[in-house]
Amino acid sequence: MAAQAPPFMGAPEVLIERLNRGVRKRNARWTFVRDHAFGDALTLRRFRLGNGLTVLTLVDRSAPTVSYHTWFRVGSRHERPGKTGLAHLFEHLMFNETRNHPPGEFDRLMEGAGAEANAATWTDWTYYYENAPRDALPLLIELEGDRMANLVLRVPQVSSEKEVVANERKLRVDDDVEGKALELLYDNAFRRHPYRWPTIGWMDDIRGFTVQDCREFYRTHYAPSNATIVIAGDFDESKALSLVQKHYGGLPGTRRAERPKPSKEPPQRAERVFRLDAPTPTEKLLLGYRAPSFSNPDTAALVVANEVLFGGQSSRLHRLFCLDKEIALSVRGSISPFVDPGLFEMWIFLREGKKKADALALLDREITRLGSEGPRVVELEKAINQLELSFLHSMETAGGKAEQIGFYETVANDGAAVFERLASFREVTANDLKRAVRKYLRPSRRTRVEILRKAS
Amino acid sequence: MNVFVESSDVLPLVDVEIALAVGSLQDPAGREGLAQLTGHLMRRGPRGLSHQRFEHRLASLGARISVQVSMRSTRVRATVLRRNLEPVLELLASLVWRPALRVTDFAKLKRQAQAALTARLDDDQTLGALGFRQALFGEHPYGRTLSGHADSLSRIGIQQVESFYSRNIAKSSFLVGVAGDVSEAEASALIASHLPNPKRRKQKDPVVPATRVRSGRHVIIVDKPERTQTQLFIGTLGARTRDRNLFPLIVSNTAFGGTFSGRLMQEVRAVRGWSYGAYSRLLHAKQRDAWYMSTAPAAEYSADCAALQLDLLERWVDRGIKKAELSFAQRYLINSHCFDRDTPSKRLEARLDVELLGIPRNYVEKYDQLVARVSRQEANDATRARISTRDLTIVVVATASQVVGAFERLPGVKSLQIVPFDRA
Repeated sequence: MAAQAPPFMGAPEVLIERLNRGVRKRNARWTFVRDHAFGDALTLRRFRLGNGLTVLTLVDRSAPTVSYHTWFRVGSRHERPGKTGLAHLFEHLMFNETRNHPPGEFDRLMEGAGAEANAATWTDWTYYYENAPRDALPLLIELEGDRMANLVLRVPQVSSEKEVVANERKLRVDDDVEGKALELLYDNAFRRHPYRWPTIGWMDDIRGFTVQDCREFYRTHYAPSNATIVIAGDFDESKALSLVQKHYGGLPGTRRAERPKPSKEPPQRAERVFRLDAPTPTEKLLLGYRAPSFSNPDTAALVVANEVLFGGQSSRLHRLFCLDKEIALSVRGSISPFVDPGLFEMWIFLREGKKKADALALLDREITRLGSEGPRVVELEKAINQLELSFLHSMETAGGKAEQIGFYETVANDGAAVFERLASFREVTANDLKRAVRKYLRPSRRTRVEILRKAS
Repeated sequence: MNVFVESSDVLPLVDVEIALAVGSLQDPAGREGLAQLTGHLMRRGPRGLSHQRFEHRLASLGARISVQVSMRSTRVRATVLRRNLEPVLELLASLVWRPALRVTDFAKLKRQAQAALTARLDDDQTLGALGFRQALFGEHPYGRTLSGHADSLSRIGIQQVESFYSRNIAKSSFLVGVAGDVSEAEASALIASHLPNPKRRKQKDPVVPATRVRSGRHVIIVDKPERTQTQLFIGTLGARTRDRNLFPLIVSNTAFGGTFSGRLMQEVRAVRGWSYGAYSRLLHAKQRDAWYMSTAPAAEYSADCAALQLDLLERWVDRGIKKAELSFAQRYLINSHCFDRDTPSKRLEARLDVELLGIPRNYVEKYDQLVARVSRQEANDATRARISTRDLTIVVVATASQVVGAFERLPGVKSLQIVPFDRA
C-alpha cells in the first residue's frame, strides 16, 4: 500500500499500469515494490523492471537539479589475487567508447549539458553518478543505459587508462604516507578476506591487465540485475520511469554476477604490529580494530562511541591528545562501512618529539575507561545531536540524497534504511556502548601501524 | 538591520554567518598569519565560558562553528539544528563581540599552528600550490600564506592578537546572513535581538599594490625525497575581478582546461595517461591574481608533461579557441551554474560575496548573459591580453635529482632553483 503521495506525484500503482500498457517484453515491465516517507515533503519509491533493475526515486523540488546514480554490487572484494584493482580500472573504462558513442563523447555530452559525471569504487561496490540541471535527465538516462550494455573495450583505451590508474596509485598510495599506511594496515589485518588488498590494486596487477580481463569483468558484473538506479531531485517521475523503461527495458535480465562467498576471516587473538618508515616530518599511529559489518546491530553503538571519542573539539580524545596533553595535532576515527566485518580505524597524528608509546598508553586508558564507565548522559546526547547534524548535511543536495540512498541500498540491502539510521543511534544506551567498546576495542583485536620518520 | 536570508524548509537545518571585511591582507609585514590566528583564537569561545565548556555547549546543541579567514574576509559560520537556532545565535554573537582571547588558549593555539605547519609538509599538492603562489607573487601580499610561517608566527604575541581584534573586528561593520529552515521575518527578529547595531566603522579596504610578474620562465623544484610522482604547477598572472576581460577569459580558460573534455585534460590524460588530473584555473581579485595549470605526472615523464603543457599553452594563446570550443564552454558554464545555488547556504554565500568582496552584482545576477555574450574574438583577444607564454612560473614538487636535468632543458627557462621541501 502506498503512502500518501505529495501533490505533484501520482499514485504509483496507476503510474505503473500506464507505463506497462502495451509492453509485451517481460524485461521492460515495471513493478512497484513499496514506498517510504521521509518527513512531510519527501517520499522514496522503489520500482523494479522485469530484467531485475531496481530503481529508487525521490522527488525533491527544492533546487532545479537532478542526481542520477547507478550502483553496481561489485567492488574489489569480487576480484582475485593477481587481478586486484580490476573493479577500479573498469570504473575508469566506463567513461570511454560505446557502440553508439565514440571515445570522449560521453564526457562532452555530459559537460555540455552542465552535468558533473564521476564514479567511485570501493570494496563492495562501484557507483557512477551525474549531478545535472533537471532538463538533462533524458540525456543521463540514455547515456547510462547505453554504457551498461554497449561498452567497447579496445587496447588503446585500456593501455592509456592503465597508465592513468598507475599514476593515481602513485598519487594516493606510493607518495602518500596515509595511503601507504592504510594499505599496510588492511593487508595485515586481514589474512583471508579480499578486504586485504587495496581497491586501487597492486601496481604489478594494474600493469598486467588485458582487454580480455576487462571484457570478462564487464560480462560478469555489469547487468541490470546487479544494479540499482537512484534518481533524486527535481524531475517528473512518470517521464523518468518511461525513459528508463525505454533505455534499459531491452537489456537481458539473465546475466548474473558470480558470487563466490569470500573466505571467512579467522578471529584475531593477538595484536599485530608493523612499522612503516616514511619521509614524513611527524610520526603517526594507525590502528585498526576488527569491527562488525555495517548492518550488524552493534555498529550503531560503535558509531556513537566513535563520536564520543573523536567527534569534534569537545570529544574525549581530541581534548586529551590535542588540547590538554598536546601530544597530537589531530586524532580521528571511523568505522569501515563494509558488507562484511571491517575495521574501526583510529589515527593519531603525533606532534614533533612526542612519543608513540605515551600516545598508545593514553589511548588504551581512555578506551578502557569508556568501556568500564560508559559515556555520560550529556555525552550521549551530544553525540546524537552531532550525528543528526552530519546526517542532515549529507542530505542537503540532490546528489547527497542519491548517494546516501544508493549506499544503503547496496550495503544494507535497503535504500530506505538511511532514514532509520538516526533512530538506531538514538536507541543506543550507555550500556550498549560500553558493551560494544569492551567487545570490539580490545588490543588483541587490533593491527597497529607505526609510521616513523625516515632519516633523510 | 540588513539581514540576508535564504529560506528553505526542506531540512531542519540553519546556517548563520557573520562576515567581516578583514583578512590576511591586513597582516603586518613579518607577522603573517595574524588574521587567521585572531580568528582561530576567537573560535575558542566567549568570555565567561572556558574553551572546554564552550565546545561542550556547542556540540550539545547540535551545532558547529567555523571561522574562515581569507585574504579579504573573516567569516564566522554556524550550522545548527533548527530547534537550537536561538541559543546558538547567542553563542555566535558572543564569540564575535565578546571573545575571551585568553593567554592560555593563545599559547596552545600558537603551538598548534606551528605543529600544523610541520604536518603540512606531508601534503605534496599543498606544498606545490603554496610554492607556486610564493614564487609567482614574491613579496606581494598575494604571496602570503594565510597561516604564516614559523618565523612570522614566532613574532606574534597575545598583544598583537588583541590589538588586531580591537582595530579590525570589535567595532567594524559586518554583514549577517541566515540560510535554511527559517523565515525572513523570524531571522530578522532573531538577529535584531541578539546581534549589536551594525552601524559601525566601515573597514577601510587595504591598499593592495598591482601585482607584477617576473620576466622569463623560472623553474623552482621543491625537493622532497622518494617521490615517484611530481606535482606540477605552471602559471602566470590572471585577471582582476573588475577586468573587462574577465568573462571572455573565464570562457576561454574553460575551453582550454576547465573541464574533462578540455584540451589540457584530453592531451595529458585521455591521450597519454600521464596524469590523473589536468586542469587550468583562473583566479581573480582586486589586483591580477593567478592563472595556472596543475597536473601530477610520474617523475620519469614530468618534464615531458611540462613541455607538452607549454606547447598547449602557446597554441591556446597564439591560435585561440575554436568556435565549437567556445560554444561548448558557454553551454557548460551556463548549464552547470545551477550548482552554484542549489542549496540555501550557497545562495547566501553569493549574496554576501557581492557585498563583502565588491564583486559586481551583475556577475551573480546576469551570469548567464555575461557568459553567453562572449564572442570567439573577445575570448581569444582576452587570452592574448592576459595570459603570458613568456613570463611563467613553473613549480614542481619532486625528488630534484630525478628531474633537474630535464627541467633545465625546457624551452625558454631563464632560471632554475632547488628548494628543500622543509624550507620551501
